[in-house]
Amino acid sequence: MAVARPSGSDHALLYVPGTSWLHRLNPMTKLVAVLWIAVAAFVLPTAGTIALAGLAAATGILAGAGKVFARRLAFTLTPLTVALFVVHGLLVGHGNQTDWFGLTVSRDGIAFMFHILGRIAALLAGSLLFVTTTHPARLLKALDSKGFPPGMAYLIASPLLLLDPFTTRARAIREAQSARGLDLNGSLMTRIRAFPALLMPLITLALADIDHRAQVLDGRGFRAVPRRTVLDPPPDSPAQLWARRLILISIPFQIAGGLLWR
Amino acid sequence: MALIEVDNLTFGYEPDAPVLDGITLEIAEGERIAILGGNGSGKSTLAQWIAGWLPRGAHKASQGEVRVNGTTWQGLDARTRTETVQFVGQVPMQQLSGFAFTVWDEIVFGPGNLGLPPDEIVARAERAVAMCNLAHLLERDPFSLSGGEQQRLSIAAALAMQPRALVLDEPTGNFDPESRDILLAQMADLPGGLTTIWCDVALGPPLVVADRFLLLDEARIVFDGDARAFLAHPRTRDIFGLPAVAEVAALLAKAGRWPGGILPPFDLDEAVAAFGAVMEGTIPA
Repeated sequence: MAVARPSGSDHALLYVPGTSWLHRLNPMTKLVAVLWIAVAAFVLPTAGTIALAGLAAATGILAGAGKVFARRLAFTLTPLTVALFVVHGLLVGHGNQTDWFGLTVSRDGIAFMFHILGRIAALLAGSLLFVTTTHPARLLKALDSKGFPPGMAYLIASPLLLLDPFTTRARAIREAQSARGLDLNGSLMTRIRAFPALLMPLITLALADIDHRAQVLDGRGFRAVPRRTVLDPPPDSPAQLWARRLILISIPFQIAGGLLWR
Repeated sequence: MALIEVDNLTFGYEPDAPVLDGITLEIAEGERIAILGGNGSGKSTLAQWIAGWLPRGAHKASQGEVRVNGTTWQGLDARTRTETVQFVGQVPMQQLSGFAFTVWDEIVFGPGNLGLPPDEIVARAERAVAMCNLAHLLERDPFSLSGGEQQRLSIAAALAMQPRALVLDEPTGNFDPESRDILLAQMADLPGGLTTIWCDVALGPPLVVADRFLLLDEARIVFDGDARAFLAHPRTRDIFGLPAVAEVAALLAKAGRWPGGILPPFDLDEAVAAFGAVMEGTIPA
């Protein structure tokens, strides 16, 4: 089922609405798959991690999230590639060096660079597969319907939901303090000195909010009964249930295989 | 037995500065009460005590207690508390659960927490949506709504819990006139049985809804009675001002409700004139 992005919000910033088979998968299945990819990223050799990242990216493109994948992978991997190349290719003497366009480059350093990049790319692509095709609201319902403690779902939902109001409040405090004559545009030292005047009210109000939010949750019966009722839980199937079981069972073998391979 | 009993309650956030001073009050099931007073008179604090939101943390009553069906709030389990009283406070954003990505999810959040059957949750939520004029906002993110819309959502979420009592602390302060009138009409038409405690600094909205009026002044209840006597009370005029009192009289007359109960409709000018006689003063043009 396609889940529309709630209007007026950026909570699900990376979610790309769609109806692909990946969108339709139960979020728990995708979560387990992400776990498998995360483990694989650490046990596979470099070629394996790069292939895994490529496969995940291709799947994301097929699911209609190509733009997000391209942007996020480029934003993350480009500076990392440059940094790793400089540090491990040029600066750290790994031995086995060669000349490359006038630069003395370490072959082992470059191999190490690809090793790290492959891992990160696989981890990132796997995570993107999940967040681009799973609306957080659907994840909450999946967790609830599978009997996970409501507190766990709340930990996922509240940071996403409260970030916007928190940012708005920070902006309001900044404007209020500025209106009272606090210099927020001066030198670095002036700004550092002004920082507590911004931070303290933000923290104080956030703490007061926590107290209030706890009262609201208590008033709405949060944790009043062991099992919440979930309206429209994401569909699940025996095939997906077995797939999750198999994936989870395979993880220890994955780790053992990785250790033996080395 | 009263549903809620406030028994000689004295409470202050600072030592030697009571916000509530020896408050005693009995609220029967189904009563519609308005607690009115000026800023700092203790309305919100009393509302929080009645709703069981206080005491908490370091906030302890220096004297007295609040009982629900003869039991203090601390003696009730979470589910009973939830199903007995719902509270809607003044600051709209603080009333949101922080758990829901849409208005609809916010409304069904509470009933879902009680483990109710899905059909019942949906039925409750649909009723609450209609009451609070939220049908066009169901897919919106609760935190992106305006203050008035968030307040309507908070009231809807509270109503969806189907409590025995609803405590509202200045609930229409952020409303536009249309939404306020819709809510007031719906509140006035609520089926009997729901105890309503409406705290406000404005006279108009609670007078449409309530049958019993309390005037809170300097931490004490200085009046407890019906609308006519409330409006005629000298402290009412002092606190709210004669123009506000006259406006309310006109509002009630226009709505066909004269203080003290529902009477046949009569002429607006006649109502204002009659009210002027009650107040023994001059009503400004």
